[in-house]
Amino acid sequence: MMPRIWSALVLAGAPIAAWAFTVAIVPASPQEVYLQVGVGSFAGNYNVGGTPGNNATISKASVTVAAAAVGNGTAQALATDSTVGASPYDGYIYCNTPAQLYIGGFYRRTTSGSNTAIVTATVPASLVNASGDQIAFSRISWTTGGNGDNGSEPFPAGTFVSGGVQTVGAIAQNQWAESCWTFRYSNTTVPPQGTYIGRVLYTVTAP
Amino acid sequence: MSPQHRTALLRFACTGWAVALMAASGVAGAVTTAIDDSGTVVLSPSVPMRWQALSPRQGNGVLMIGSTTVRVQLNVMPWLQHSGRIYLVFPAQQPGTVRASWSSQGRLLSGSVTSGSRALVYAGPISTPVVQDVLQLAIFVDGRQMHRGYELNFHFEMEST
Repeated sequence: MMPRIWSALVLAGAPIAAWAFTVAIVPASPQEVYLQVGVGSFAGNYNVGGTPGNNATISKASVTVAAAAVGNGTAQALATDSTVGASPYDGYIYCNTPAQLYIGGFYRRTTSGSNTAIVTATVPASLVNASGDQIAFSRISWTTGGNGDNGSEPFPAGTFVSGGVQTVGAIAQNQWAESCWTFRYSNTTVPPQGTYIGRVLYTVTAP
Repeated sequence: MSPQHRTALLRFACTGWAVALMAASGVAGAVTTAIDDSGTVVLSPSVPMRWQALSPRQGNGVLMIGSTTVRVQLNVMPWLQHSGRIYLVFPAQQPGTVRASWSSQGRLLSGSVTSGSRALVYAGPISTPVVQDVLQLAIFVDGRQMHRGYELNFHFEMEST
Protein backbone atom coordinates (compact mmCIF):
# COMPACT_ATOMS: atom_id res chain seq x y z
CA MET A 1 0.00 0.00 0.00
CA MET A 2 2.77 2.47 0.78
CA PRO A 3 4.05 2.88 -2.80
CA ARG A 4 0.57 3.71 -4.06
CA ILE A 5 0.03 6.39 -1.43
CA TRP A 6 3.41 7.95 -2.26
CA SER A 7 2.53 8.10 -5.95
CA ALA A 8 -0.73 9.84 -5.23
CA LEU A 9 0.99 12.53 -3.21
CA VAL A 10 3.47 13.25 -5.95
CA LEU A 11 0.74 13.66 -8.55
CA ALA A 12 -1.34 15.89 -6.35
CA GLY A 13 1.42 18.47 -6.48
CA ALA A 14 2.03 18.21 -10.19
CA PRO A 15 0.32 20.36 -12.82
CA ILE A 16 -2.51 18.73 -14.73
CA ALA A 17 -1.70 18.40 -18.39
CA ALA A 18 -3.73 20.55 -20.79
CA TRP A 19 -3.58 18.66 -24.02
CA ALA A 20 -4.33 20.32 -27.28
CA PHE A 21 -2.94 20.75 -30.71
CA THR A 22 -2.76 24.11 -32.33
CA VAL A 23 -3.22 25.30 -35.89
CA ALA A 24 -2.17 28.86 -36.67
CA ILE A 25 -4.16 30.52 -39.42
CA VAL A 26 -2.75 33.49 -41.26
CA PRO A 27 -4.46 35.50 -44.02
CA ALA A 28 -2.10 34.84 -46.90
CA SER A 29 -3.93 36.83 -49.54
CA PRO A 30 -5.85 39.40 -47.60
CA GLN A 31 -6.36 41.72 -50.54
CA GLU A 32 -7.17 41.08 -54.15
CA VAL A 33 -7.89 43.59 -56.85
CA TYR A 34 -8.60 43.19 -60.54
CA LEU A 35 -9.41 45.69 -63.26
CA GLN A 36 -10.29 44.99 -66.85
CA VAL A 37 -10.82 47.68 -69.46
CA GLY A 38 -11.82 46.15 -72.75
CA VAL A 39 -9.98 42.92 -73.30
CA GLY A 40 -8.88 40.94 -70.25
CA SER A 41 -8.02 37.42 -69.26
CA PHE A 42 -10.15 35.12 -67.22
CA ALA A 43 -9.85 31.36 -67.11
CA GLY A 44 -13.50 30.56 -66.56
CA ASN A 45 -16.10 32.88 -65.16
CA TYR A 46 -15.45 34.53 -61.86
CA ASN A 47 -18.60 33.25 -60.18
CA VAL A 48 -17.58 29.65 -60.68
CA GLY A 49 -14.03 30.00 -59.56
CA GLY A 50 -12.55 31.53 -62.67
CA THR A 51 -9.04 32.80 -62.32
CA PRO A 52 -8.06 36.29 -63.43
CA GLY A 53 -4.89 36.77 -65.38
CA ASN A 54 -2.79 39.47 -66.96
CA ASN A 55 -3.50 40.76 -70.44
CA ALA A 56 -1.35 43.34 -72.16
CA THR A 57 -3.86 44.10 -74.91
CA ILE A 58 -4.65 47.78 -75.31
CA SER A 59 -8.22 48.19 -76.43
CA LYS A 60 -8.93 50.94 -78.90
CA ALA A 61 -11.97 53.12 -79.48
CA SER A 62 -12.08 55.06 -82.71
CA VAL A 63 -14.24 56.90 -85.17
CA THR A 64 -13.75 58.16 -88.70
CA VAL A 65 -15.50 61.44 -89.23
CA ALA A 66 -16.68 61.98 -92.75
CA ALA A 67 -15.24 65.08 -94.39
CA ALA A 68 -18.65 66.64 -94.79
CA ALA A 69 -19.39 66.16 -91.11
CA VAL A 70 -16.19 67.46 -89.59
CA GLY A 71 -16.93 70.15 -87.06
CA ASN A 72 -20.68 70.19 -87.62
CA GLY A 73 -21.43 69.79 -83.92
CA THR A 74 -22.96 66.37 -84.25
CA ALA A 75 -21.28 64.09 -81.77
CA GLN A 76 -19.62 61.10 -83.31
CA ALA A 77 -19.83 57.75 -81.56
CA LEU A 78 -16.63 55.79 -81.20
CA ALA A 79 -16.51 52.06 -81.79
CA THR A 80 -14.20 49.78 -79.88
CA ASP A 81 -12.02 47.00 -81.22
CA SER A 82 -12.68 45.06 -78.04
CA THR A 83 -14.83 42.03 -78.58
CA VAL A 84 -15.57 41.66 -74.90
CA GLY A 85 -19.30 41.85 -74.42
CA ALA A 86 -19.65 39.12 -71.83
CA SER A 87 -19.02 39.89 -68.22
CA PRO A 88 -16.09 37.89 -66.87
CA TYR A 89 -18.11 37.64 -63.72
CA ASP A 90 -20.72 35.25 -65.03
CA GLY A 91 -20.58 35.27 -68.81
CA TYR A 92 -23.68 37.42 -69.12
CA ILE A 93 -23.72 39.46 -72.33
CA TYR A 94 -23.47 42.77 -70.61
CA CYS A 95 -21.94 45.12 -73.16
CA ASN A 96 -22.86 45.53 -76.79
CA THR A 97 -19.77 45.54 -78.93
CA PRO A 98 -18.42 47.32 -80.82
CA ALA A 99 -20.39 50.28 -79.52
CA GLN A 100 -19.52 49.70 -75.87
CA LEU A 101 -16.31 49.09 -74.00
CA TYR A 102 -16.38 46.83 -70.96
CA ILE A 103 -14.85 48.09 -67.72
CA GLY A 104 -15.06 46.05 -64.56
CA GLY A 105 -13.25 44.33 -61.77
CA PHE A 106 -13.32 43.43 -58.16
CA TYR A 107 -11.79 44.42 -54.88
CA ARG A 108 -11.82 42.26 -51.83
CA ARG A 109 -10.05 42.24 -48.54
CA THR A 110 -10.30 40.69 -45.13
CA THR A 111 -12.12 42.42 -42.31
CA SER A 112 -15.44 44.10 -42.73
CA GLY A 113 -15.62 47.72 -43.68
CA SER A 114 -16.49 50.17 -46.36
CA ASN A 115 -13.18 50.61 -48.08
CA THR A 116 -13.21 51.43 -51.74
CA ALA A 117 -10.79 50.87 -54.55
CA ILE A 118 -10.57 53.88 -56.83
CA VAL A 119 -10.15 53.69 -60.58
CA THR A 120 -8.43 56.63 -62.19
CA ALA A 121 -7.63 57.62 -65.73
CA THR A 122 -4.35 59.24 -66.61
CA VAL A 123 -5.15 61.37 -69.63
CA PRO A 124 -2.81 63.16 -72.02
CA ALA A 125 -3.61 66.73 -72.93
CA SER A 126 -4.44 65.91 -76.52
CA LEU A 127 -4.78 63.39 -79.25
CA VAL A 128 -2.06 64.02 -81.79
CA ASN A 129 -1.70 63.28 -85.48
CA ALA A 130 1.46 62.61 -87.48
CA SER A 131 1.92 66.31 -88.16
CA GLY A 132 1.70 67.20 -84.51
CA ASP A 133 -1.76 68.70 -84.75
CA GLN A 134 -3.84 68.21 -81.65
CA ILE A 135 -7.37 67.63 -80.49
CA ALA A 136 -8.03 68.21 -76.83
CA PHE A 137 -8.92 65.03 -74.95
CA SER A 138 -11.74 66.93 -73.30
CA ARG A 139 -13.66 66.60 -76.57
CA ILE A 140 -14.20 62.95 -75.78
CA SER A 141 -16.81 61.88 -73.28
CA TRP A 142 -18.71 58.75 -72.50
CA THR A 143 -22.06 57.46 -71.36
CA THR A 144 -22.46 54.37 -69.23
CA GLY A 145 -24.78 51.45 -68.79
CA GLY A 146 -25.01 47.77 -69.56
CA ASN A 147 -27.67 45.29 -70.49
CA GLY A 148 -30.05 44.59 -67.64
CA ASP A 149 -28.66 47.37 -65.50
CA ASN A 150 -30.52 49.16 -62.79
CA GLY A 151 -29.30 51.58 -60.18
CA SER A 152 -26.21 53.68 -60.26
CA GLU A 153 -23.17 52.75 -62.26
CA PRO A 154 -19.84 52.12 -60.53
CA PHE A 155 -18.16 53.72 -63.54
CA PRO A 156 -20.37 56.69 -64.33
CA ALA A 157 -20.54 58.85 -67.40
CA GLY A 158 -17.92 61.52 -67.78
CA THR A 159 -15.67 63.61 -69.93
CA PHE A 160 -11.93 63.34 -70.15
CA VAL A 161 -9.82 66.07 -68.69
CA SER A 162 -7.19 67.42 -71.03
CA GLY A 163 -4.05 66.35 -69.31
CA GLY A 164 -4.26 64.99 -65.77
CA VAL A 165 -5.52 62.21 -63.58
CA GLN A 166 -9.23 61.89 -63.00
CA THR A 167 -11.34 59.45 -61.03
CA VAL A 168 -13.61 57.46 -63.30
CA GLY A 169 -15.12 54.96 -60.90
CA ALA A 170 -14.91 52.98 -57.74
CA ILE A 171 -15.18 49.39 -56.58
CA ALA A 172 -16.63 48.89 -53.14
CA GLN A 173 -14.97 46.45 -50.80
CA ASN A 174 -15.83 42.83 -51.53
CA GLN A 175 -17.79 43.72 -54.62
CA TRP A 176 -17.60 43.10 -58.31
CA ALA A 177 -18.26 46.30 -60.25
CA GLU A 178 -18.76 46.71 -63.99
CA SER A 179 -20.12 49.13 -66.55
CA CYS A 180 -20.18 49.53 -70.30
CA TRP A 181 -18.93 52.74 -71.74
CA THR A 182 -19.96 54.36 -75.00
CA PHE A 183 -17.51 57.04 -76.13
CA ARG A 184 -18.29 59.97 -78.30
CA TYR A 185 -16.33 62.78 -79.89
CA SER A 186 -17.95 66.20 -79.60
CA ASN A 187 -17.00 67.23 -83.15
CA THR A 188 -17.31 70.93 -82.60
CA THR A 189 -14.05 72.05 -84.20
CA VAL A 190 -12.38 71.64 -87.56
CA PRO A 191 -8.92 70.23 -87.00
CA PRO A 192 -6.48 69.49 -89.80
CA GLN A 193 -6.98 66.19 -91.58
CA GLY A 194 -5.24 63.21 -90.03
CA THR A 195 -5.41 60.33 -87.64
CA TYR A 196 -5.33 61.57 -84.09
CA ILE A 197 -4.17 59.15 -81.44
CA GLY A 198 -3.99 59.31 -77.68
CA ARG A 199 -3.72 56.72 -74.96
CA VAL A 200 -5.46 56.76 -71.60
CA LEU A 201 -4.09 54.67 -68.77
CA TYR A 202 -6.55 53.26 -66.24
CA THR A 203 -5.32 52.44 -62.78
CA VAL A 204 -7.03 50.82 -59.81
CA THR A 205 -5.78 51.76 -56.38
CA ALA A 206 -6.87 49.93 -53.26
CA PRO A 207 -6.33 51.15 -49.69
CA MET B 1 -21.32 18.68 -21.00
CA SER B 2 -21.37 21.69 -18.72
CA PRO B 3 -17.93 22.91 -17.67
CA GLN B 4 -19.09 23.49 -14.13
CA HIS B 5 -19.64 19.78 -13.76
CA ARG B 6 -16.02 19.02 -14.32
CA THR B 7 -13.96 17.47 -11.58
CA ALA B 8 -10.45 16.21 -11.54
CA LEU B 9 -9.61 12.55 -11.42
CA LEU B 10 -6.37 10.72 -11.10
CA ARG B 11 -5.89 7.46 -12.85
CA PHE B 12 -2.93 5.16 -12.85
CA ALA B 13 -1.79 3.29 -15.88
CA CYS B 14 -1.00 -0.34 -15.41
CA THR B 15 2.56 0.25 -16.59
CA GLY B 16 3.35 2.06 -13.39
CA TRP B 17 3.24 5.65 -14.58
CA ALA B 18 0.32 7.89 -13.93
CA VAL B 19 -1.75 10.15 -16.12
CA ALA B 20 -3.55 13.18 -14.81
CA LEU B 21 -6.95 13.54 -16.29
CA MET B 22 -9.75 16.03 -16.39
CA ALA B 23 -13.06 14.31 -16.09
CA ALA B 24 -16.68 15.17 -15.79
CA SER B 25 -20.04 13.60 -15.43
CA GLY B 26 -22.00 13.54 -18.66
CA VAL B 27 -25.37 12.31 -19.72
CA ALA B 28 -26.50 8.81 -18.79
CA GLY B 29 -23.64 8.40 -16.37
CA ALA B 30 -20.96 8.97 -19.00
CA VAL B 31 -17.64 10.43 -17.95
CA THR B 32 -15.87 12.83 -20.26
CA THR B 33 -12.12 12.98 -20.03
CA ALA B 34 -9.46 14.82 -21.95
CA ILE B 35 -7.24 12.47 -23.93
CA ASP B 36 -3.50 12.67 -23.93
CA ASP B 37 -2.90 13.78 -27.51
CA SER B 38 0.62 15.00 -26.88
CA GLY B 39 1.81 12.69 -29.65
CA THR B 40 -0.32 14.51 -32.18
CA VAL B 41 1.63 16.51 -34.73
CA VAL B 42 0.38 19.22 -37.07
CA LEU B 43 2.64 18.82 -40.06
CA SER B 44 2.26 22.42 -41.26
CA PRO B 45 1.13 24.29 -38.17
CA SER B 46 1.03 27.67 -39.90
CA VAL B 47 -1.82 27.58 -42.37
CA PRO B 48 -2.11 30.29 -45.03
CA MET B 49 -5.75 31.22 -45.47
CA ARG B 50 -6.92 32.06 -48.96
CA TRP B 51 -10.25 33.10 -50.35
CA GLN B 52 -12.30 30.00 -51.00
CA ALA B 53 -14.03 31.64 -53.94
CA LEU B 54 -12.61 34.43 -55.99
CA SER B 55 -15.94 36.10 -56.23
CA PRO B 56 -17.15 38.00 -53.19
CA ARG B 57 -20.67 37.83 -54.58
CA GLN B 58 -20.94 34.07 -54.32
CA GLY B 59 -22.72 32.50 -51.39
CA ASN B 60 -19.44 31.54 -49.81
CA GLY B 61 -17.67 34.61 -51.10
CA VAL B 62 -16.56 35.78 -47.68
CA LEU B 63 -14.98 32.49 -46.69
CA MET B 64 -11.30 31.92 -46.46
CA ILE B 65 -9.94 28.40 -46.48
CA GLY B 66 -6.71 26.78 -45.44
CA SER B 67 -5.66 23.22 -44.96
CA THR B 68 -3.06 21.17 -43.23
CA THR B 69 -2.33 17.61 -42.22
CA VAL B 70 -2.64 16.40 -38.66
CA ARG B 71 -0.97 13.18 -37.59
CA VAL B 72 -3.16 12.14 -34.69
CA GLN B 73 -1.84 9.99 -31.91
CA LEU B 74 -4.07 9.47 -28.91
CA ASN B 75 -3.03 7.70 -25.75
CA VAL B 76 -6.13 5.73 -24.81
CA MET B 77 -4.38 3.35 -22.46
CA PRO B 78 -6.67 4.30 -19.54
CA TRP B 79 -9.67 2.99 -21.50
CA LEU B 80 -8.07 -0.13 -22.90
CA GLN B 81 -10.54 -3.00 -23.19
CA HIS B 82 -13.44 -0.62 -22.57
CA SER B 83 -15.83 1.10 -24.92
CA GLY B 84 -15.92 4.80 -25.44
CA ARG B 85 -16.68 7.67 -27.72
CA ILE B 86 -13.90 9.97 -28.84
CA TYR B 87 -14.68 13.54 -29.76
CA LEU B 88 -12.65 16.21 -31.46
CA VAL B 89 -13.33 19.35 -29.45
CA PHE B 90 -13.03 22.78 -31.01
CA PRO B 91 -13.57 25.33 -28.24
CA ALA B 92 -15.01 28.75 -28.93
CA GLN B 93 -12.14 31.12 -29.57
CA GLN B 94 -10.92 33.99 -31.69
CA PRO B 95 -11.52 35.05 -34.40
CA GLY B 96 -15.13 33.91 -33.94
CA THR B 97 -17.05 31.28 -35.79
CA VAL B 98 -14.64 28.92 -37.48
CA ARG B 99 -15.46 25.62 -39.11
CA ALA B 100 -13.07 22.74 -39.44
CA SER B 101 -13.67 19.69 -41.58
CA TRP B 102 -11.45 16.72 -42.08
CA SER B 103 -11.07 13.46 -43.86
CA SER B 104 -9.38 10.58 -42.13
CA GLN B 105 -7.65 7.43 -43.23
CA GLY B 106 -10.33 5.33 -41.60
CA ARG B 107 -9.34 4.79 -38.01
CA LEU B 108 -11.25 7.89 -37.02
CA LEU B 109 -14.40 9.23 -38.58
CA SER B 110 -14.30 12.04 -41.08
CA GLY B 111 -16.47 15.01 -40.24
CA SER B 112 -16.68 18.66 -39.41
CA VAL B 113 -17.03 20.83 -36.36
CA THR B 114 -17.76 24.45 -35.68
CA SER B 115 -15.92 26.34 -33.00
CA GLY B 116 -17.71 26.02 -29.70
CA SER B 117 -18.71 22.43 -30.28
CA ARG B 118 -17.33 18.94 -30.72
CA ALA B 119 -17.67 16.14 -33.23
CA LEU B 120 -17.63 12.38 -32.80
CA VAL B 121 -14.60 10.75 -34.38
CA TYR B 122 -14.78 7.28 -32.85
CA ALA B 123 -17.27 5.09 -31.05
CA GLY B 124 -16.65 1.55 -29.98
CA PRO B 125 -14.28 -0.67 -28.09
CA ILE B 126 -10.80 0.56 -27.24
CA SER B 127 -8.64 -2.35 -28.21
CA THR B 128 -5.25 -0.71 -28.59
CA PRO B 129 -3.39 1.61 -26.23
CA VAL B 130 -2.84 4.16 -28.97
CA VAL B 131 -5.19 5.42 -31.64
CA GLN B 132 -3.50 6.81 -34.71
CA ASP B 133 -4.78 8.37 -37.89
CA VAL B 134 -3.90 11.12 -40.32
CA LEU B 135 -6.42 13.89 -40.85
CA GLN B 136 -6.55 16.24 -43.80
CA LEU B 137 -7.86 19.24 -41.97
CA ALA B 138 -9.53 22.18 -43.69
CA ILE B 139 -10.27 25.41 -41.89
CA PHE B 140 -13.02 27.77 -42.99
CA VAL B 141 -13.36 31.26 -41.59
CA ASP B 142 -15.19 34.41 -42.52
CA GLY B 143 -12.48 36.57 -44.06
CA ARG B 144 -14.02 39.65 -42.53
CA GLN B 145 -12.95 38.32 -39.15
CA MET B 146 -9.34 37.84 -40.17
CA HIS B 147 -7.83 40.97 -38.75
CA ARG B 148 -4.55 39.13 -38.17
CA GLY B 149 -3.27 35.64 -37.59
CA TYR B 150 -4.88 33.43 -34.97
CA GLU B 151 -4.04 30.22 -33.18
CA LEU B 152 -6.80 27.65 -33.14
CA ASN B 153 -6.77 25.07 -30.38
CA PHE B 154 -8.26 21.63 -30.70
CA HIS B 155 -8.23 18.68 -28.35
CA PHE B 156 -9.72 15.24 -28.04
CA GLU B 157 -11.85 13.91 -25.25
CA MET B 158 -13.20 10.50 -24.33
CA GLU B 159 -16.72 9.89 -23.23
CA SER B 160 -16.91 6.57 -21.45
CA THR B 161 -19.35 4.81 -19.16
